[in-house]
Amino acid sequence: MQISNILSSRSLKRRITRFLMHGLILTFLVYLLFPLIWMISTSFKPTAEIYSGIPSLIPKVFTGEHYLTVFQEKRLLMSIANSLYVGVITSIIVVLISLPAAYALSRYKTAVNKLVMGWILTSQIFPAILIMIPLFLVLRSLHLTDTLSGLVLVYVVWDIPFVLWMLQGYVKEIPIELEEAAAIDGANQTQIIYKIIMPLLLPAIGAAVLFAFISAWNEFFFALVLLKSPDLTTLPVELARYTGIEGQARTGPLAAASFIATIPSIILFAILRKWFSSGALQGAVKG
Amino acid sequence: MMRRLISWMLYYKGFIIAALLAIIIISLYVSSELAMRRETVVVQTGPLRFLSLAWQEEAVEAVREITGQWNAQHPEQQVEYIQGTWNSIHDYLITGFETGDIPDIFHYESAIIVDFALRGYLADLSPYITDEMQADVLEVDWSSVTRPSGEVIGIPFINESFIVLYNQDLFEKEGIAVPSFEEPWTWADLQEAAQKLTKDLDNDGTVDQWGVAMGLRNSANIIMNHSIAFGGSFFYQNEQGMIETRVGAPEKELLSVILDMLYQEKTMSPSCIGKSSTEMLPGFLSGKYAMVVAIGTWARQQVQENAPADLRWSVMPPMKAKTQAMGLNTQTLSIPKSCTRQAVAMEFISYLLSSENMTRLAGSDWMMPTRKSSLNDPRFQTEANGWQVVTKSAQYLSTGPWVGLPGYIEWKSRVANPIFQELFAGRLNLEEAAIRIEKESNSVLARYQVRGLKW
Repeated sequence: MQISNILSSRSLKRRITRFLMHGLILTFLVYLLFPLIWMISTSFKPTAEIYSGIPSLIPKVFTGEHYLTVFQEKRLLMSIANSLYVGVITSIIVVLISLPAAYALSRYKTAVNKLVMGWILTSQIFPAILIMIPLFLVLRSLHLTDTLSGLVLVYVVWDIPFVLWMLQGYVKEIPIELEEAAAIDGANQTQIIYKIIMPLLLPAIGAAVLFAFISAWNEFFFALVLLKSPDLTTLPVELARYTGIEGQARTGPLAAASFIATIPSIILFAILRKWFSSGALQGAVKG
Repeated sequence: MMRRLISWMLYYKGFIIAALLAIIIISLYVSSELAMRRETVVVQTGPLRFLSLAWQEEAVEAVREITGQWNAQHPEQQVEYIQGTWNSIHDYLITGFETGDIPDIFHYESAIIVDFALRGYLADLSPYITDEMQADVLEVDWSSVTRPSGEVIGIPFINESFIVLYNQDLFEKEGIAVPSFEEPWTWADLQEAAQKLTKDLDNDGTVDQWGVAMGLRNSANIIMNHSIAFGGSFFYQNEQGMIETRVGAPEKELLSVILDMLYQEKTMSPSCIGKSSTEMLPGFLSGKYAMVVAIGTWARQQVQENAPADLRWSVMPPMKAKTQAMGLNTQTLSIPKSCTRQAVAMEFISYLLSSENMTRLAGSDWMMPTRKSSLNDPRFQTEANGWQVVTKSAQYLSTGPWVGLPGYIEWKSRVANPIFQELFAGRLNLEEAAIRIEKESNSVLARYQVRGLKW
């Protein structure tokens, strides 16, 4: 009787804990999603309803006028294409450079490892505004200002330290025995990195790709200063043009354009989602 | 040997990292300074680059069309239109000036380009201004962009000034007579009307309809421009010839009026403290606020586009204190000193700001043109959407004593705006706010004056 009481009280506690945890997660989700939902809702409201002063999550009248406006302006599509180009190329280059570098930093214990890691951390403390002018001068001497390639170069340099830091942590977690086994089977170093380590690092690579892509996709200041030609404008700079003096904004078109801007990130996350699945190492090493 | 070196490096790694950091910071600073000092001579070819801050659909369309017309008529000197943004223009221009990569013509506002002129970034446009333009643009606008030496740092083309929006139905319901240019309201009249208009409509003990609304989040601009009518200047020259801040009786008058409406008469919603003028508009459209005071003339477009069909609204003439004077800020077009084609850039500006084109630009932005001939255009003489009141108010525009004051922009953002916020939020009383403004202002202004920056 006592045992069943204890069991039922434990089960009750577990239920309460689970309920509280779910409640917490739900609150967090609402907190995260509310601005997005509000933005989507605003993008479908007629302008008069947006300014009515009566907040409502579901539009009283649905309209697609704001989407029509942003697509008619054509520049949005061009800026999406530019941002996609910059984001995709940046994330590919960042991963291609960071992966072998992270492997080397984790596996080869040299005297300078700590210095390199210290340097990586140090490089993260400089705000963009501080390095902007020297960076601009360097890029201009390389004829890379006002080019998407120049912007990609900046983003790659900007993102590599963090991605490298992140990836080397993951590499450390992979048992060295796997590499030894591959080496015994005759694999060379490149094969070990790309055929053994890389597949095991897929969740980390997914996270790195997503990080590099999203940071390039959202970045505003470098794109604003480095790109001068209207045809090269990226999405965040284009979105800023819907806002005006003293906090005024073309709220409807801004919400529609912002929603369109989130779609590629959502698609990328959906594609990479399966990479994030854990347990890739399960059963890799026995005994 | 190598091993000893490595172990030495590891032992002193903290020191080495600190030294590396110091080297990086110093080299960044030095390279920035060098970049700033270097006379960047870039041979400019190709189209002139014109950065515009027009952002409303109609205004963007107007600027693009006029630029297109210029390009069609001037195949030898094309102009490339670049759309900038108000939120990022300052960083864009600062980095542009310091790297030497700056548009040939740029749109900004008089209060801020003063700072660029003090740093020597702007071309003197006075040799290029035609007699016709000189005579047609309002004198008060020229004074906001002309240095005592006679240098003109920008061509003023749109006046940013303030208006009072009011709900005609609510006024009629309370039997409140609307002020006119002949019989303008004093601030006391406004307070009295606000008391009549503040209502608890459903008798639940809370106010449903506020007499007056005012965007007080960053209120320095509003306070400075409206205090002129009380004789409030805030900046005075002392015996040593230095500018210092004083918050005396004339400077305190408007602040007292606002505090009274917020806390004594309770006719202004406390939510105004944390909101901008733009954020007042939904409340005005829904009838929650009977009047919106000190909002830009551009707000009429938002009201006209978004108001419910049954909302009757209008604009009232400037409030009277000792005078009806009201400070102004003008939107300008400037040319950087580094531009090697200043004459042709100015030709484009003259074309863009011809009387006909300026009428179109100001109209599309719902602001006041700076040319007298444009102000007289029938478009601005109609009673619809308050245009006539806005145009007639041009006679009261005045240049604030802060025009050309080195450090004014920093003063506004670091001293005035935060202290006014604390004052209106009730965390400081008026005397405490006055003391803090004087103390903190003078340290900011002294820093600029020591650097020898002179207007």
